[in-house]
Amino acid sequence: MTDRFLTVGKSLHRKDAWDKTTGKALYTADIPIENLRVGMIVRSPHHYARILDIDKKQSLEIPGVLAVLMSDDIPGDKVFGPLIPDQPSLARDVVRHLGEPVVLIIAETKRAAQEAANQIQVSYEPLGAVFDPVQAAREDAPQLHQDGNVITALNIKDGDIEKGFQDADHILDDTYTLPRIHPGYMEPETSLAVWGEDQTITVWVSSQHPFTDQRFIAAALDLPVENVRVKSGVIGGAFGGKEDSSLSILAALGAWAIKGAVRLVNTRRESFIAHPKRHPAQIHYKLGAMSDGTFTALKAEVHMDTGAYASYGPAVAAILTETLAGAYRIPNVQVESFVVYTNSPLSGAMRGFGSPQSHFAVESMVDSMAEEIGMDPVQIRRANILKVGEKMFTGVTLNETANALPICLDKAQEIMDRFRAVEVSPGKKAGVGMALAAQSMGLGANVPDDSTHRLEWAPDGKVLIHLGAPDLGQGLAMAVEQITAEALGLPYSQVESLPLDTLDRPNGNVTCASRMTYMAGNALIDASEKLIQDLLAHAGEILEVPAKMLVYKEGQIIKEDGKKLPVVEFLGRLAEKSITLTSESTFSFPYPEETTPQGLPIGMPHVLYCFGAQVARVEVDPDLGTVEVTHFAAIHDVGKVISQSGVEGQIEGGVATGLGYALYETMLRKDDQWVDSFTEYLLPTSKDLPTHYESIILEIPEASGPYGAKGIGEIPLVPTAPAVANAVKNAVGVRVKKLPITPERVLGFID
Amino acid sequence: MKTITVSFLLNGKKTSVTSLPNRTLLDVLREDLGLTGAKDACGGEGECGACTVIMNGNPVNSCMIFIGQIEGTQITTIEGLMEKGEFHRLQKSFVEAGAVQCGFCTPGAILTAKTLLDNNPHPTDHEIREGLSGNLCRCTGYNKMIDAIHLAEQGGLDD
Ligand code: FES
Ligand code: FES
Repeated sequence: MTDRFLTVGKSLHRKDAWDKTTGKALYTADIPIENLRVGMIVRSPHHYARILDIDKKQSLEIPGVLAVLMSDDIPGDKVFGPLIPDQPSLARDVVRHLGEPVVLIIAETKRAAQEAANQIQVSYEPLGAVFDPVQAAREDAPQLHQDGNVITALNIKDGDIEKGFQDADHILDDTYTLPRIHPGYMEPETSLAVWGEDQTITVWVSSQHPFTDQRFIAAALDLPVENVRVKSGVIGGAFGGKEDSSLSILAALGAWAIKGAVRLVNTRRESFIAHPKRHPAQIHYKLGAMSDGTFTALKAEVHMDTGAYASYGPAVAAILTETLAGAYRIPNVQVESFVVYTNSPLSGAMRGFGSPQSHFAVESMVDSMAEEIGMDPVQIRRANILKVGEKMFTGVTLNETANALPICLDKAQEIMDRFRAVEVSPGKKAGVGMALAAQSMGLGANVPDDSTHRLEWAPDGKVLIHLGAPDLGQGLAMAVEQITAEALGLPYSQVESLPLDTLDRPNGNVTCASRMTYMAGNALIDASEKLIQDLLAHAGEILEVPAKMLVYKEGQIIKEDGKKLPVVEFLGRLAEKSITLTSESTFSFPYPEETTPQGLPIGMPHVLYCFGAQVARVEVDPDLGTVEVTHFAAIHDVGKVISQSGVEGQIEGGVATGLGYALYETMLRKDDQWVDSFTEYLLPTSKDLPTHYESIILEIPEASGPYGAKGIGEIPLVPTAPAVANAVKNAVGVRVKKLPITPERVLGFID
Repeated sequence: MKTITVSFLLNGKKTSVTSLPNRTLLDVLREDLGLTGAKDACGGEGECGACTVIMNGNPVNSCMIFIGQIEGTQITTIEGLMEKGEFHRLQKSFVEAGAVQCGFCTPGAILTAKTLLDNNPHPTDHEIREGLSGNLCRCTGYNKMIDAIHLAEQGGLDD
């Protein structure tokens, strides 16, 4: 079949890439500003303590110090939070985690700010801290917030759990433990705020949703929202972590206080201890199956450590819980999940949003069950995968994209056979493992999710996309440029998206949840159609013929007699009359009644899913316990490829992050301090990743997607860790139930 | 603390800087000279490679170099890589291979790659992986960077 697309599906060059290779791209830390002042945050040295007194006198006397600010200095809201307003911008009375901001210093130089930070006297009365979410959930634990430590308790039942286990010939029961993970974007959190005239402020952010920053800043400074202008700098990665305010409130507070310009940049240490992480979790998982492999029952209990403040904890719990059955039909389910406050650094959104945690449990357990029954890992999965029209335990009915599941398994089987045939290095033991995954798209039913974007056809013929959501570095801009170019039949070079600015861009909502290409793409296809209609109406007036006699095609207007007129001619004529062609469209994430259950305790079920499978081949040194992933394959259904290199980049980068989760990364507490640098927290380097790597991209169209596309942002890291764990089990017979898979765990020395 | 003055060749131009001696080359590039292509991703601990520049032909983490050490050296930053308005072949190949996502690691990775190719015009995959291992990237998984370096090395660029 010949490809009917002009631009969609092609591998094109990102337009922002050139400036990124020359150093010209301006990230928020790079933006030059006159009379810029330096902000520095004094943070809590305690995990949990009462603040007795803050004496700022001496620090204010240091030459060059312009302001020393505390909670009381904030003119408006003193707390914020994306779901629950429980987080103080500057601590009040009590600090609940190490690294919590207490005082904000603004000075002329870094040196003066540092000196002031050294001089500030904060007296604390340390309190007994709690770090374990299971302990913290108890009534006798120190209660960190007024309403207790358990902020979310979900309890979902489907079918008859007792009967489900009675029907089972085999029952397995295990506990899986997941570590705290740093999103690890290379650009630390940064904000730049400039106070303007007439009570206005402009703030540059590195954020997944500048419109939320705008709202939070206005509330904190007690300003009307329209007085706050938020602009996006070039963003150096986000991966969910920049759904939370990345210093924008404090930078704005500083600028407001000195009526000047202030930049705040987190050091990596600050990023580690004071910005949200992936939730550590304990998952107790019990699965029943009949001797033919059919799953009969699942019972699970989950404790998630959300740290000192809620961040996105309750929402992460929803996806973690919803995906506890993975991509399988299990008729009888009972799952309970608890999100618990502790004195750990906060946890929030990170790529996968709960699903990497649940999949480690499900996919490890499914392999254990296969072994217990004496079945092949692919065969047991085949016997249980969800089919089109089947209900998940959340009550959601799966649409036709579930057709990807058996294909993922076929491909995985082929690859496993191939990987098994690879010769083993001397002295090593080789193993091959796979895992399957389902990742939800969207924010969930009942969460308002509208995304608005605008097009402008400039007089020179260029189409400008007023994109309402930021490109986080993943390449959203390229994807929507390709979609818009396709919809208008224009060359990719003629379409350009503009960076976000709340002043005059529509609100496209937060870039997250594997859905921004889907949302913006749909909105822009619709906006393109409107733009064409508008163009034809104006052209009709100019040519004095009814618009319906005219046809638009690929940058030209075709008259009834077949004569073709270039669109630029009309744009020029309109410009003379001061008319600019623009169109705007809003796409709302669809929750069709027939697939969206109501009345679930979870409140916000997700109805669209992405599917994928991954296969790992490992070589384990049986004496040292070291694991090398030598071969890796990632199979993903993307609905329709919009940008070939973009999709590959998402998969390859996701797998790398998944391998970090599998083998290296964990933010431990050692000697009462958190691991807070890349010296001890190991991100995968180019040396650590498999030298044999394959991406297999499937295109099973999603009817509601732009040209059939669905999301690919998150799922590539979801099945990775269990695929590796299953390969390690296959190689040396050790089932590692706690990530990361360290040599000590492989040798069975710990846990 | 007394300031010191150092002179060096920066992107081919004679440059001198007066500064307190406890500041790093990265501070001076970013804060005094307005060259913000070198980034700080690890807190100046020598762990990320985002601040890489080329000093006397070798890639160095500019956050680990105090300014007293740069007297008389030749330094190339990412801003100095284009020649006569032409992109360097690695800049082209990084764009072409899709090796640039968020781009925060890109200047450092390209400069490391340049010294790699200067010393070893046709490196193997393994040599590239070794050579790039000091440059952390969270976005790409490195595959496309390795492709980009091969593309530059084999001269297969479209123009
Ligand atoms: S800033 Fe990370 S190595 Fe220099
Ligand atoms: S491209 Fe984002 S860190 Fe490398």
